[in-house]
Amino acid sequence: MPEQKITLTIDDDGAITAKTSGFKGESCLEALDELLNLEGVVSNVKKTDEYHQQQTQQTNRVQSLKGKS
Amino acid sequence: MSAVIKTVTPFVIEEVLIEALLVVGAEPVKITPSNLQTVSHRGGLVVGDILTNRSDFYGPQHFRQNGDHWILRHDSSEMNGRVSSMLTGKHYSKVGRFLEEVGSAYESTYAKHLEKLAEQERIRLEEERKARVEATRQQAIAKAKSQGYSVKETTNSKGQIQLVLTRMV
Repeated sequence: MPEQKITLTIDDDGAITAKTSGFKGESCLEALDELLNLEGVVSNVKKTDEYHQQQTQQTNRVQSLKGKS
Repeated sequence: MSAVIKTVTPFVIEEVLIEALLVVGAEPVKITPSNLQTVSHRGGLVVGDILTNRSDFYGPQHFRQNGDHWILRHDSSEMNGRVSSMLTGKHYSKVGRFLEEVGSAYESTYAKHLEKLAEQERIRLEEERKARVEATRQQAIAKAKSQGYSVKETTNSKGQIQLVLTRMV
């Protein structure tokens, strides 16, 4: 059973930095949005290697599915 | 004829004035309903007046609030001017000299008063900041638990709160 992990760091002013692992593609941002209501409060999003890898895998899978049809 | 005059420092803040009067050894006493009848003054006293240990023909010289500032009420001729004090070495000085001394003490006390206000403001902002961090922490923990995460709380090397949320999917 895969584990989803979010590490929240609350700085001295109450701002939050969140780092996720174990999520697939955009679902990490969705999970953070559910958790923190991100609309209008995010100052910076840095996508990790893991995010890009999973996005690439998903794209590859879509391409291969297209290739079959 | 020409003249140059200098007015006294406007005494605006009661707390600062009382402190300044203490500094110059004027032993201020505030008139309250309970001590109003115990002090006599030919011109009359009212609740809120601030007595000094200086007296003249009319009775104790005192400060009374007049609009937004306090003024010293005294006999203009300073007849029978004296100091009634438990403090040693206190001699009567002319009203102008006394007001100069009080003005000088008022200015330095006012500077301390401003520092105190700044410190109170700093403390208030710090408390607000702490409350904001705590509210964020509690909100994050509550939301995480409601979404099935288990929460582990630690502190990082900078002393910041770190919440590690995990769940199996």
